[in-house]
Amino acid sequence: MRRLLLVKALTRRNTRVAVAVAAIVMGAAVVCALTSLYLDISIKMSEELRAFGANFFVGPPPSQTTGQRGIDRTRLAEAIRTLPAEKLVGVSPFLYGLVRLDLGNAVLAGVDFVGLRKNSPYWQVEGGWVAVDFDERNAMVGRRLAQSMELKPGDAVTIVNGDRSFQTKVTVKGIVESGEAEDDQIFVNLSLAHKLLGLDGRVDFAMASLVAQGAEADALAADMNRRLPEIDARPIRKIARSDGQILDKIEGLMALVALIIVIITTLCVNATLTAMVAERAPEIGLQKALGATDRVIVVQFLTETAVIAAVGVSVGLVLGFALAQVLGHAVFSSWVGLRVAVVPLTLGISLISALVAAVVPVRAAVAVVPARVLRGE
Amino acid sequence: MLTRTRPLAPASPAGDAPPVIETRGLSKRFGSVAALDGVDITVTAGEFVAIMGPSGSGKTTLLNLLSCLDTPSSGHYLLDGIETAALDGAAQAVVRREKIGLVFQQFHLIPYLSAVENVMLAQHYHSVADRDEATAALARVGLGHRAGHLPSQLSGGEQQRVCIARALINQPALILADEPTGNLDEENERLVMALFQELHREGRTLVLVTHNPDLGALTDRVIRLNHGRLEA
Repeated sequence: MRRLLLVKALTRRNTRVAVAVAAIVMGAAVVCALTSLYLDISIKMSEELRAFGANFFVGPPPSQTTGQRGIDRTRLAEAIRTLPAEKLVGVSPFLYGLVRLDLGNAVLAGVDFVGLRKNSPYWQVEGGWVAVDFDERNAMVGRRLAQSMELKPGDAVTIVNGDRSFQTKVTVKGIVESGEAEDDQIFVNLSLAHKLLGLDGRVDFAMASLVAQGAEADALAADMNRRLPEIDARPIRKIARSDGQILDKIEGLMALVALIIVIITTLCVNATLTAMVAERAPEIGLQKALGATDRVIVVQFLTETAVIAAVGVSVGLVLGFALAQVLGHAVFSSWVGLRVAVVPLTLGISLISALVAAVVPVRAAVAVVPARVLRGE
Repeated sequence: MLTRTRPLAPASPAGDAPPVIETRGLSKRFGSVAALDGVDITVTAGEFVAIMGPSGSGKTTLLNLLSCLDTPSSGHYLLDGIETAALDGAAQAVVRREKIGLVFQQFHLIPYLSAVENVMLAQHYHSVADRDEATAALARVGLGHRAGHLPSQLSGGEQQRVCIARALINQPALILADEPTGNLDEENERLVMALFQELHREGRTLVLVTHNPDLGALTDRVIRLNHGRLEA
């Protein structure tokens, strides 16, 4: 009988119930979408901010006493292995030196082209990237240097080392434009740079791109420094700090929007339930006259509210996840993953919202005086 | 928990039958207005009593007190031996479902429940809803064939008979009817009163509130109210 009453009470008032369900769907969808984004945003933000370049420096300590330049390549590899693989997007060593090209001197940078490409997504490249890190026949040239040397993609250029003891001819694979010092440099494979500069096995430093925010990046640097004292690792403050600050502001804004939507949802559900109770006052009066206690009336209305909320949350979760994808694509141009935590969180917030919305209507139902409503007052 | 109390009155009008209703000094005030003023009545088991009086005489107030839908300002009301005047809301609800069957002038059937489901509703609050029993109760009032119909598909007389079946389903000690024929035509009025008389012959205790002297004449006894007091 209880189920019969529940089903018929809800299905008979399908318009009002639909309004209440729609309100909860809206609230749950927004909570679900924003929670999904909230849980994904640190990764998304790091990815976005990495578009501005590498965010982690690994080099020799400032007061190096070994007398040798830079750091040993194998020690660098050890240092990089201390970083969690899932956080590491790309890493490239750098070895700098002065060389002579066909039309004049230039700064040569020995790099790992695969890592450099991942670290430098904002570089504008005419032609193409050197695709593999063992390619010693191709090079990339900065925009300003290319202009002064009259080079374009496909041209051959001879590189001669400082004491003219070694020279090689490479093909310009791409012209790069970063807007910074790289525009005046020529980039070759690190092995070739070793040969040209006579610094076999050494690198000046390495730059890495990590999916990590300020405090997390600090911790990774501290861990690396502890394990390898001869290494100086540090996050690049400008990006890491702004990363955290922007993240805090966006998360706060999302929480505020979610709170406002939940309040609006609560008010909307409250208005609908209040109207339902007013409409059902004679029915409630009759139930009381037949012997229903206040507790029975409270349980009945809370059950109805819970059913409305359950339907609303179920639909809201699906719509919310779809909304998260729309927002993910609009803001970060990527999918937002489904986190298990989103489901209980959305369910909990929506149910609490619905139950809060039901407090006043349930009190009104309990306050119905059967003697009055049965007389039509 | 409901407890029984010793009867207040020395004897009932019908002789040895125990009192089902016994009020002493029953009063109800709404602000400074006395809607009911020191009413003493006794209705014994098996009696069919009419409460009559002009508008504003206190009939509805008395019926609300007798049906435990309201509490008196002062006085005592023993229903089937239970002092109800001091009961709280929850205990009053228990008394209503255990002891009283209510018949309303406006029927008060739930519009989205069928006739049999409306009867089952009273069973549900009393104990356990039983469709067969509820259908039998409808058959008892001549509506076995209309059990699956919604109130909107029934005539006024049929709706009132569903209301009576609902009042009877839990075998209450007392049936209280408030102007039960007030919304019915003559033919249905006759049918409903015939049903009440039949219930009376079966030994049920009925109290009927009416302003119609012809209906009052069909009962064992008429209690007359005027300005909240019993007429001598």
